[in-house]
Amino acid sequence: MARILLIEDDDGTAQEILLGLARAGYVATRAATGADGLAAIRNGDNDLVIVDRQLPDSEGLDLIATMRSEGIRTPALVLSAMGSLDDRVRGLRAGGDDYLPKPFALIELLARIEALLRRPVEGRETQLFAGPIDIDLLAGTALRNGRDLELLPRELLLLEYLVRRPGRVVTRMMLLQDVWGYNFDPRSNVVDVHMSRLRRKVDGDGDPPLIRNVRGEGYRFDAPA
Amino acid sequence: MPLRERGARVIGRGTLLHWGIAIALLLAVQSVAMAALFWVSAREGHRGELDEALSHDCTAFAALSPSARRMELHRQLELDVHRDRFLAVANAGGHVLYGNIAVLPPGVAMNGIGTATVTPTTLPGKTSDVARGRLCRLPGGQVLFSGIDLDDSEQALRIVERTLLFALLPGLLIAVLGGWYVARRAGRQLDAVRVLSEQITRGELNRRLPVAEHPDSFGQLCAHINAMLDRIETLVGEVRGIGDDIAHQLRTPLTRLRARVEREMEDAVSRDDFARAGAATLADVDQALAIVAALLRIHEIEHRAKCAGFTRVDLGALVRDVGELYAPVAEDSGRTLAIAVDGAAAVSVSADRDLLGEALSNLIDNAIKFGPIGGIVTLSLAVEDSAATITVADEGAGVAAADRERVFQRFFRARGLQNVPGTGLGLSLVRAIADLHGFTVALADRGSAVSIRVPLDRG
Repeated sequence: MARILLIEDDDGTAQEILLGLARAGYVATRAATGADGLAAIRNGDNDLVIVDRQLPDSEGLDLIATMRSEGIRTPALVLSAMGSLDDRVRGLRAGGDDYLPKPFALIELLARIEALLRRPVEGRETQLFAGPIDIDLLAGTALRNGRDLELLPRELLLLEYLVRRPGRVVTRMMLLQDVWGYNFDPRSNVVDVHMSRLRRKVDGDGDPPLIRNVRGEGYRFDAPA
Repeated sequence: MPLRERGARVIGRGTLLHWGIAIALLLAVQSVAMAALFWVSAREGHRGELDEALSHDCTAFAALSPSARRMELHRQLELDVHRDRFLAVANAGGHVLYGNIAVLPPGVAMNGIGTATVTPTTLPGKTSDVARGRLCRLPGGQVLFSGIDLDDSEQALRIVERTLLFALLPGLLIAVLGGWYVARRAGRQLDAVRVLSEQITRGELNRRLPVAEHPDSFGQLCAHINAMLDRIETLVGEVRGIGDDIAHQLRTPLTRLRARVEREMEDAVSRDDFARAGAATLADVDQALAIVAALLRIHEIEHRAKCAGFTRVDLGALVRDVGELYAPVAEDSGRTLAIAVDGAAAVSVSADRDLLGEALSNLIDNAIKFGPIGGIVTLSLAVEDSAATITVADEGAGVAAADRERVFQRFFRARGLQNVPGTGLGLSLVRAIADLHGFTVALADRGSAVSIRVPLDRG
């Protein structure tokens, strides 16, 4: 089971996150200050670190920079209440692996953690097979049980993204970021609209559904064994 | 705080007093210096004249034969009706041969000039006097002493001194009065500014400094302060308005949320009921959070440094991209999204791609929300020589002329649209993004269209 270190000074927020992590099956510990956090990073063998940017004694990004300069390569996810535009870029530049502005949905946090812990091997293979699905990226086609799904280019990218992360939740924000390359909250249901079209094509013909909606926040591709 | 304020006031008054004293002193020093200069130059001028006359005597006597000298000496003494001349001729040993002094005065060097005590022989009741004198050796070895009594000139100088001293008194008086007046005037002006700043500190932002019709430099400063206060008052007014709006805008969803939670806690009997209530609650909280997030985002865009994170953005590609993103949304809502990109040549500008995408997505979202069902939403890019224009148009009624500028204000919702979901912040955000880039955003004069005008820097 993956061990996660949470460095967050606000007790209420930390409590909620710890409960969420525990429920998702992670072993989570918490440090309330940057100094304690750094000590815990140096001591323990954590699989992932979640760092709040505004700590009472230090800036979360400095902490990550220090940790990276010491050669500690544990994946780090940055939380921020500031929600600044450049924060994401700065967070990633400081050595953070992902960035999440507060307030966030718990499912979003869990999806990001899972993505960091099990980074997909973005292989160079141009053909993907997942249960009944065959994707040929060079030909730009996707088949289900040999039948062409007639996907548009963007729909093919969406399906590829899901198929490469079987059994894992991907959120709307992740899809918008990674498939469209936009870093903003569209505030409307754009991603859902695209996903529902994709699902109609992939799961439309009474076959058992492969793409599921997860609590209104994200999607999961379940490849049958 | 009051203590410190009072302290500050005392220091202020003291400083003014110092200024007054300093000005008075300056004027006094100037008077004294002028008097002293006058005195010294008068004295020196007089000395110079005397010394020249004495030297002249030496040359005149040197030109005479020893026998003629006695006659010339007596002639000169006879001409001296004021009896302030001292003349004597002595032999080489310094013994006076003839003249009107008994001995050569000590203290005057040979061929030198100096002030010395002489011993007159012809003045009644006077055996000693102070004179300016010159000693010179004449051809043949004789020595001439030529002197002028200093009594008269000393008296004249004393009169000058006294006059100057008397003149100093009114000068000093004027200096003190002037210093006092200047200090008081400056004090009054500073007091006016101080009183104003105290009033403003208390919150009376509408106070202004009086400015004369033809202001001096202090008056101009006051006018500048007034202009600054005007701007601050406007800004504070805006901020107050926004603060009130935020409170009001958040109160509505929170009130609704509270009522719903209360009712559903009463009504819910099953676990499913609670789950439904929870989901509805989440949606309401998200709506409130969306308002906060949008406000923070506008704030950060407005305060962001221009060009931070700017890259070259291909406008045509961006328009097509965002169009493709929204086409299915329009279709699902029963509208058609048409994309028209003008020209084959790529137009690229320095911009933040995410922000421009966000601005476009807001405009398209609005057009889909407010355009008529079954209508066409047009997203177009028109390229001219100096500018490119991105326009989002729908077939709705558009915004009333009176509201065209106000739609960009935070929380502005046109009448009749209060119940359309949204934060009322979309266009404020679009404008903030446009401002950051130096683009202009405007509503069309007729119909329902919003345009972002992008100046092109083709070189």
